Amino acid sequence: MENIAWGLQMTVLGMGLVFALLALLWLLLTLILKLDKEPEVEVSAQEATIEAERIAAIADDAVGAQTPERPTVNGMPADLVAAILVATHKHRKTMRRQAAPLVRIAWPGSQIFASRWLATGRARQNNNWQPRGK
Amino acid sequence: MIDQETIGLLLKGVNGVTWQSLVMIGISFVLFYLAIAKDYEPLLLLPIGAGCLLANLPLSPLVASDGMLKVLYDMGVGNEMFPLLIFIGIGALTDFGPLLENPKFVLLGAAGQFGIFLTLLLALLLGFTTNEAASIGIIGAIDGPTSIYVSGILAPHMLGPITVAAYSYMSLVPIIMPPVVYFLTTKQERAIRMPYSSRKISRRTRILFPIIVIALVGTLVPFATPLIGMLMLGNLMKESGVVERLTKASSNEIANAVTLFLGLAIGSTMVGTDFLKPSTLFILVLGLLAFGLDCAAGVLFAKVLNWITGGKVNPIIGAAGISAFPMAARVCQRIAQEEDFENFLLMHAMGANAAGQVASVVAGGVVLALMGAGG
Repeated sequence: MENIAWGLQMTVLGMGLVFALLALLWLLLTLILKLDKEPEVEVSAQEATIEAERIAAIADDAVGAQTPERPTVNGMPADLVAAILVATHKHRKTMRRQAAPLVRIAWPGSQIFASRWLATGRARQNNNWQPRGK
Repeated sequence: MIDQETIGLLLKGVNGVTWQSLVMIGISFVLFYLAIAKDYEPLLLLPIGAGCLLANLPLSPLVASDGMLKVLYDMGVGNEMFPLLIFIGIGALTDFGPLLENPKFVLLGAAGQFGIFLTLLLALLLGFTTNEAASIGIIGAIDGPTSIYVSGILAPHMLGPITVAAYSYMSLVPIIMPPVVYFLTTKQERAIRMPYSSRKISRRTRILFPIIVIALVGTLVPFATPLIGMLMLGNLMKESGVVERLTKASSNEIANAVTLFLGLAIGSTMVGTDFLKPSTLFILVLGLLAFGLDCAAGVLFAKVLNWITGGKVNPIIGAAGISAFPMAARVCQRIAQEEDFENFLLMHAMGANAAGQVASVVAGGVVLALMGAGG
């Protein structure tokens, strides 16, 4: 019971001291910032977050706040390699789709992926260029 | 001829295996697993695991009176040098800008230390001595070097479990913190958007900050001088910009070497006969409780600030008033974005988190001062 009373005293005194010290620090910092005479400027949340991310990235290197080393592929960050791979794959698919009429991935005469030449021919067949009534 | 004595000598290692050493070797494997497979604080948990394994092998010469691990312990843990050297590196890598832009958040850091003292009370209820209770409570600082420093002075026999608990819980911030925040806040509170205002912090202010903190804390709580002194020395070197080589060395080469030595030395204290006690389990549970109580106190204090300011403070940032920088701030940001994807709290949370770093060191010094130790 004696120990508990001591613990309660410690809690009140300890937290009181911590708060008092940090409140004093707050006061001093406010005074120093007043000396700076720098105006407060409204910034967007995104801008502030980018700055915060920059600070956090530096602190990530601190021992005890360690984030594991990022995996690499031939010296390049693995996520960058993955992004390049996805972009390349997507680009390849796009190119294939665009090039399809030229390289005839569809059977000649197919309705899909008709080449410009074929499409023009079909259009000509559908449109009668003879003057009407003749 | 191979006689009985020779066979005895050959089997000395096998005969020296005890159930305690086998359990500890198992624990070292768990630490390896956490470090390698789960990426939980690998820089510390891997050397601690290695130290634990090496110390628990039968008749390990490494923990003999002149063994390497014993020498490392005496060199840097017994005299508290290693945690202080690590603090220089942490100071050199920490930007207190978010705190300087919003100095009022320093109070959130203070609130985040409440768990230390509540856990101390609980430890006393469980029958720990006053020194042991204070050492267990300091896990609530969620600050590895502070925990090692304080417990090394007050209860060196409990250094192993306290260090493992402190660093494990630091890495478990993303798992432990969210439930506490969700439990104590409403959906509306979590969705509060906080306005940003930025001001240019002059180089003079950035240089004055560490000097003022050292002078203020060192004068009022002399027991905190080693901790705050080294943290702010690192920050002064960084902000002055005139000793770039020293700043880089402190945050890279020195910090890396010391981390390895510290991990091995701490691991070597985890010898089965001392570690496998019911008290170790209590330490781990109480440490977890201390962390939870810290977050809860921070959130509740932020709710009070929110009420005072008329709804301008999101209570989530109160949970960042601990020392795990910048992970705690990132977790707060994630929680906020789960409610409202366009809510950006990171900078405010970083301010509270930087305050938590200073506050945890101050709390460590206050605990030492109240215990009358560490001078």
